[in-house]
Amino acid sequence: MTKLMLQILERKSAWRKRVAALPVEEKLRMLEEMIADTRAIVATHPPKPANPVRPLSARPFKS
Amino acid sequence: MALEKIFPVLNQMETDGVIGRYAIGGAVGAIFWLEPFQTKDLDVFVVLPTSAGGTLLTLSPIYDYLLRLGYRPDGQFIVMEGWSVEFVPPGTALVEEALTESVSREVNDVLTRVFTAEHLAAICLQVGRPRDHDRMVRFIEAGVLDAAILDAILRRHNLLEKWAAFEQSFLPE
Repeated sequence: MTKLMLQILERKSAWRKRVAALPVEEKLRMLEEMIADTRAIVATHPPKPANPVRPLSARPFKS
Repeated sequence: MALEKIFPVLNQMETDGVIGRYAIGGAVGAIFWLEPFQTKDLDVFVVLPTSAGGTLLTLSPIYDYLLRLGYRPDGQFIVMEGWSVEFVPPGTALVEEALTESVSREVNDVLTRVFTAEHLAAICLQVGRPRDHDRMVRFIEAGVLDAAILDAILRRHNLLEKWAAFEQSFLPE
């Protein structure tokens, strides 16, 4: 892992610790805001790939 | 906040004997200990009272009670204050223990009960879906797990092998 990637991971970890330590009320309020924001997103669906990767269990059995 | 309107209803259900002891688990339970992340339902783990004169566990009294309050069913959920709430009886010894040892937390002066961080992490390890591994990493990164408590839970529920595999895959040096 490069030094830059390690720095990014450290920052992400520090952010998670900081936000995790917020009061529960604040975190639940943030969660509800997040959900409302997500519901408000209006977007068109991207085109489906011609040959999509499927989960292993869905692949036809090959002997 | 819609969630804080749900907790008093759950407390009242417990007082009225519609449900036994309850605790919040799942993603919302995890958010009590971690940073908020996207989720769309609220998992309420409950001890169900048995039907009158029998041993059959039933969710009917919960549905009847909440329908009388004006909430509506939606599949396995009941929609309360805009949230899809699922009442889940404990299905494993680990979840049963998590419910027994859940802790009280206050949300804007309303008391509720939530699984401990260590039990939530152990359940993630036991269930083992990709999102559970992600959540487990979050628990570790947030530094909210007590190593001795987690170790004891993992030993009691034979999860040490799963922990070793998780550690090898997701916690490289």
